[in-house]
Amino acid sequence: MSTAAVPNPPGGSLTPAQRRLAADPRITADWTRRQTAETNLRALVGRAYPRVRGMFREPSWVIFEILLPFLGTSAYVMVYRALKAPEEYVGFVVLGGALSAFWLNVVWSMAGQLYWEKSQGNLELYFAAPMSLMSVLLGMAAGGLAMSSTRAAAVLVISASVFGVQFDVQEWWLVGVVFLLTLTALYGLGMMMASLFLLWGREAWHLTNVMVEPVYFVSGLNFPVGRLGAIGVAAIATIPFAVGLDAMRQLAFPHSDLLVGTPPPGIEALILVAMTVVFTGASRWCMTTIERMARSRGSLSIRWQ
Amino acid sequence: MAVTVDPMGATAGGIGDTARTEGGGLVDTLRHLRAALLLGWRVESNWADPILFAIYTVIRPVSSMLLLTAMVTIVGGSADVTARTFVILGSALWAMLVSGLSGPAWSVLEDRERYRTLKYLYTSPATFLVLLAGRGGARLLTGAMGTLVAILFATLFLGLRIDPTVVDWPLLVVTMLLGLPPVLALGIVLAAVCLQTRQESWNYPDAFSGAMFLVSGVVFPLAVLPDPLEALGLLNPITWWVAGVRQAILPDGPSSIGGTGSLWTAVTGSSAPDPVTLVAGLFLTGAVTTLLATRLFRGSERRARDRGLLDRTTGS
Repeated sequence: MSTAAVPNPPGGSLTPAQRRLAADPRITADWTRRQTAETNLRALVGRAYPRVRGMFREPSWVIFEILLPFLGTSAYVMVYRALKAPEEYVGFVVLGGALSAFWLNVVWSMAGQLYWEKSQGNLELYFAAPMSLMSVLLGMAAGGLAMSSTRAAAVLVISASVFGVQFDVQEWWLVGVVFLLTLTALYGLGMMMASLFLLWGREAWHLTNVMVEPVYFVSGLNFPVGRLGAIGVAAIATIPFAVGLDAMRQLAFPHSDLLVGTPPPGIEALILVAMTVVFTGASRWCMTTIERMARSRGSLSIRWQ
Repeated sequence: MAVTVDPMGATAGGIGDTARTEGGGLVDTLRHLRAALLLGWRVESNWADPILFAIYTVIRPVSSMLLLTAMVTIVGGSADVTARTFVILGSALWAMLVSGLSGPAWSVLEDRERYRTLKYLYTSPATFLVLLAGRGGARLLTGAMGTLVAILFATLFLGLRIDPTVVDWPLLVVTMLLGLPPVLALGIVLAAVCLQTRQESWNYPDAFSGAMFLVSGVVFPLAVLPDPLEALGLLNPITWWVAGVRQAILPDGPSSIGGTGSLWTAVTGSSAPDPVTLVAGLFLTGAVTTLLATRLFRGSERRARDRGLLDRTTGS
């Protein structure tokens, strides 16, 4: 076998179409940045597609993703009504119920997703395909976001109408910024957890379960997180759901004297920016590491471990 | 001696005997139920060491209880002991109920989507319904562990006071025995739904449980609800189960069914149902729910078989 050095593929001046048709496979495989970006974009759209399309193909999700979560939120409203709590608490519950749709989506459809893909046998196809796994994760996030947004909007509108919640938003632009930052931080965290859950294997299922109620509690799903003291502060510093929810509450009820003990919304927006950067960067690092492990050990695509 | 030979060529009573496939009635059913329970328990618990498994089992109900306790404490302060006790006990019991409700549905989804064994389980000699009841029962037992630990936690750290000498033990035992089948039956209804739907159904049980939370009087009295929802709550066996268990453990505590402004008090004139009425209500609503759930499941099973849904896997 010849050990002579292989020269660089001689396709530097060719267009992408010419590269695809080239007889030399090295030229075909030597993609331009544009080709790489287009492929990753197609992967992103392709991964988001079944999630968005699935919403229309199976209408039962309307009952389970909108009606029942509204009833679940109503249960917490009724707890406050039974306690004769100030009406602001009802508003807190409604906002928490709406934002929890994104958290549930991150936990169920992001964090655990690569593990489910492994169990279904798709993961090795992802590793083998000529695309970045980050585009798959972004596609999952984009598709999940579409479904969660519908659920969140429905819960917010229906609950606010039924329970007569009065939002007093004065800084709409900041609400928009905080909302978008919350989503980017949440889905950044989801992308990071997707890689980690893949490593943790079968424990992922139980971790998914564990990440619902405990996070609801420390994030103050139905009450101001500042009332939890040190636990609340820790949640604000580490969990995007907690900091995003608190910022939204402060912006939706700016004159409430019940929202105490947490930073103002502007600071919380900066915390969300930091979280977005950290989580997205960490997810990229985790994914690269996992991909390397998958290729070298060949163990990560073994199912049901 | 003459030997009977059936059309398949096997001797009567031997290999190929068609009577063998008809099963042995109740004995076989109980054996299948036991096997399904064991299978469910092992699937649930054999992935980790017992301590880690115990942590995962109890962290969710304890957190759920803390969430509700924080709501009560923030609004009412620590002085409102009655409300706190009502909420703490209700949320502890809810852990068990949620496990029972979600167990059969998650079994369908796990076996179909993840392990891809549903078709093999379906063709096994055990009845599919019994199999799912067993798997759901295993989760119910796991949830019961969570409930016990949550009650212990509440006793140690949240000031829950339960006096064993005051507990109405016969009522507790009877409500427990009568209440568990309808809980599993509701879980079977969800399993019937998940047989028809796709992978995203993983969170359907949670969504359903959240809705049941509203009409079960678990953490607030039904009297708070509008009349139509209150009536719906009275048709719900979980309402009677929770009320019965609560009445047994805290006989002097407030009722989730009766009370000022409640539909129950308006119709019957009594402030709260007595223990006999609680048991009768649980039995009636439980029996109707169980029968309806079985019927619904059979329909779903037939449709799934006809349309090839038992080995369909989805992903999104």
